[in-house]
Amino acid sequence: VRVTEKTKAATRRRILKSARTLFSREGFERTTTRDVAKAAAIATGTLFNYFATKEAIALGLVADAIEAAHQEFESLHRDRGSLEEDLFGFIAAELRHLKSHRGYVQPVLEIALSPLALLEKTGESLRLSHIERVERMIAARVSEGACSFVALHLYWTLYTGVLAFWAADESPNQEDTLAVLDSSLKAFVSVLPTPLVARNTANVSGELP
Amino acid sequence: VPVSAARRLFELGGLQAQVAVAYLVYWLRSWFKDASQRELELAETHLRAAIDVFATMGYLRGAAMKVGQAIANLPDLLPTQVEETLERLHFEAPPMHFALLREQVRNELGQDPESVFASFETDALAAASLGQVHRATLASGEQVAVKIQYPGIARSIRADFRALSALLFPTRLTQVWESLKGQFEDIRAVLERETDYELEAETLTRGRALFREDDGIVVPNVFDAYSTRRVLTMEFVEGVHVQDFLKTDPPQEQRDQFGEKIYGSGARLHFAGRLLYADPHPGNYLFLPNGELGLIDFGCVRPYNDQEWECCRLLDPAVRGDRETRREVGRLMAAIDDPAHADPKHLDLLEAYSDWMWRPYNLEAPFDFGSETYLREGIDLMSKLIGGRYTQGRPMVVFTTRWFFGMVAMLHRLRARVDVGALYNQERVAAEWTTA
Repeated sequence: VRVTEKTKAATRRRILKSARTLFSREGFERTTTRDVAKAAAIATGTLFNYFATKEAIALGLVADAIEAAHQEFESLHRDRGSLEEDLFGFIAAELRHLKSHRGYVQPVLEIALSPLALLEKTGESLRLSHIERVERMIAARVSEGACSFVALHLYWTLYTGVLAFWAADESPNQEDTLAVLDSSLKAFVSVLPTPLVARNTANVSGELP
Repeated sequence: VPVSAARRLFELGGLQAQVAVAYLVYWLRSWFKDASQRELELAETHLRAAIDVFATMGYLRGAAMKVGQAIANLPDLLPTQVEETLERLHFEAPPMHFALLREQVRNELGQDPESVFASFETDALAAASLGQVHRATLASGEQVAVKIQYPGIARSIRADFRALSALLFPTRLTQVWESLKGQFEDIRAVLERETDYELEAETLTRGRALFREDDGIVVPNVFDAYSTRRVLTMEFVEGVHVQDFLKTDPPQEQRDQFGEKIYGSGARLHFAGRLLYADPHPGNYLFLPNGELGLIDFGCVRPYNDQEWECCRLLDPAVRGDRETRREVGRLMAAIDDPAHADPKHLDLLEAYSDWMWRPYNLEAPFDFGSETYLREGIDLMSKLIGGRYTQGRPMVVFTTRWFFGMVAMLHRLRARVDVGALYNQERVAAEWTTA
C-alpha cells in the first residue's frame, strides 16, 4: 500500500499530538517512544520512520510552535520600534508560543539549537527560519548583508542562552527571562555597525522626561 | 533549577557587595535630579557636609539612610574604594521599551496594554521607583497613570542583600555585627516594600480616605481591576512638580498655601491614619492649577508599628513643651538614661538639635522656612552628631529625623511660611490625642 503524502502528514500530526499530551501529563523524561507509538495507535517501528528519537519528536513540537509564533509576529507586527524592540517582540512571541513546551526545550536546545548543534543538520530549517527573519529585520534598517557572520554568531549565542535560561527559569511567568532577554539584546545591538546603532537607539524609549 | 545563594554569590562576585552603596547613590541622584542651577550652586559649598547628612539621616529614604549610617558607624569597614564606587556605580531599573513593557503587562493583566486600555501612551511619563509610569485611558473613559515594574527587580533585591550579608561574614566576630545586620535588614525591607505595588495600592486607598474635599489634598483613586503586585493603575492627577511650579514665580501667598498643605497632609496621615510619610521627596508632590496638592507616591508611606507609635506619643510633649521638656524628650529619644554619665558634648549637641527642630513649632506664628540659616544650621548640627558618632537612639528618631529634614528641605525650596505648630495641634486635637 502506497502511503500518500497526505496520510504521512496526518500520521505525523497524530504522533506529535499524542506526544504532546504524554509529555505534559507524564513528563518528557518518563515518556518513551513506545508510549507515544501506542497512544498514536501505530507500531513503534512505524514511529521511527517519522522521528528517529524522542528528542526529534520534541524538536517537531518546538518547530511547529516557533513557526506559529513567527506567523503571529509577522501578522501583528507594526514595525515601528527600534531594532532592539523588534527583536524583543520577535523572541517574546516565540517564548509565549513555547510556554506549553517548556518541559522539553532543553533537549531540543542540545540536539538542534545550541552552538554545538550547529555542526549537525538536525533542526537546520528551524535555525534558518529564525536567522533569516533576524537578518531581514537588520537589513531593513541598514543595507543588505549588513549583518556579518560574527554578529550573527553572537546573536545566536545570546539567543540560545536566553532559551536555556528560560527553560530553567523559576520566576513567576518567567519574568526574569525578560530581564535577561532585554540585556542580551542591548548587548547585541551595541556591537552592530555604528550607523545602525545610531539610527536605532534614538527611538528606544530610554530617554525619560 | 533553583540557584543557591552561595552559587549566586560566587557568580556575582564582589560587585554585589557594593550594591547597597549603589542604592544610596540612586537616591542621592534622584534627589538632586530636579534641583535648579541656583540650588546646585548653593549646594556646592555645603556639598561635602550635606552628603554626610543625606547619606545618613534626613533627606533620604530609609534604605539609603541606613546604609550611610552603617558606614558612618564603621569607619574601619569603609575602604577608600567604596568612595570611588560611590561615584562609579548607580542603581536604577533600566528603562523599558514598549515590547518589554507589553510582555510585562501581558503577564500581569493577561492581555496587551492596547487591549486592556482604551488608549496607552508608549512613551513613559516618568521614571518611577524601580519601573516607569505611562499615561493611559480606561474603556470607561477615565484618565489613568499606570506604574509598571521592571521584571524580576524584587527578587534581584532580595538576592543582592543575601549576597551582601554573606560577604559581610568576616565582620561577624565584631560587636557591631548584630546592629549592622539589623540595619541592612531594614534596607531590604524598605526596598522590598517599594516593589510591592499591591501594598502601595492598599496604602493609597487608606490614605485617600483620610482627606475631605475641602482639604485641597488629592490622593489618586486606585483601579484594583487593573492593578497587581507589579502594575499599579491609578487616577491621573494633572499637575506639575515643584520645579515647574516655581518657574511660574508664584506669589508668596500661594507658596504658603502649598507649604501648609505639604505639612498638613503629613500631619493628617500621621494622626488620623497612623501612617508615616517617610519620604517627602519633591517627586512625590504635584501642584495642581486650582491650588490643590497631589500626593502621588505612596510607596514610601507605611503604618507605624506599636513601638513606633508609642514613641510618637513620647515625642509629643516636646512640641508644646518648654525648653527643659524638650531636652528631656531629646535624651529619651537618644536613649540616654543617665545624663550625669553621658558625654557632655553629646548632650550639648542634642540640646542644640532639639532647640533647632522645635523652633518652628513654638513660634505661634508662621515660620519662614525660606531662611537659609535655618536649613544650614540643621545640616551642620546633624553633621556634628554624625561626625561625633552620636547616632545611637531609638529607631523612631531615624524616621522622624528623615521626615523632618525632607519636610524642611521641601518647604525651604518653596520659600514657604508655615505655622507648623498650629497645624500639628489642629490634627492632634482632631485625632483626640490626650495629654499624657
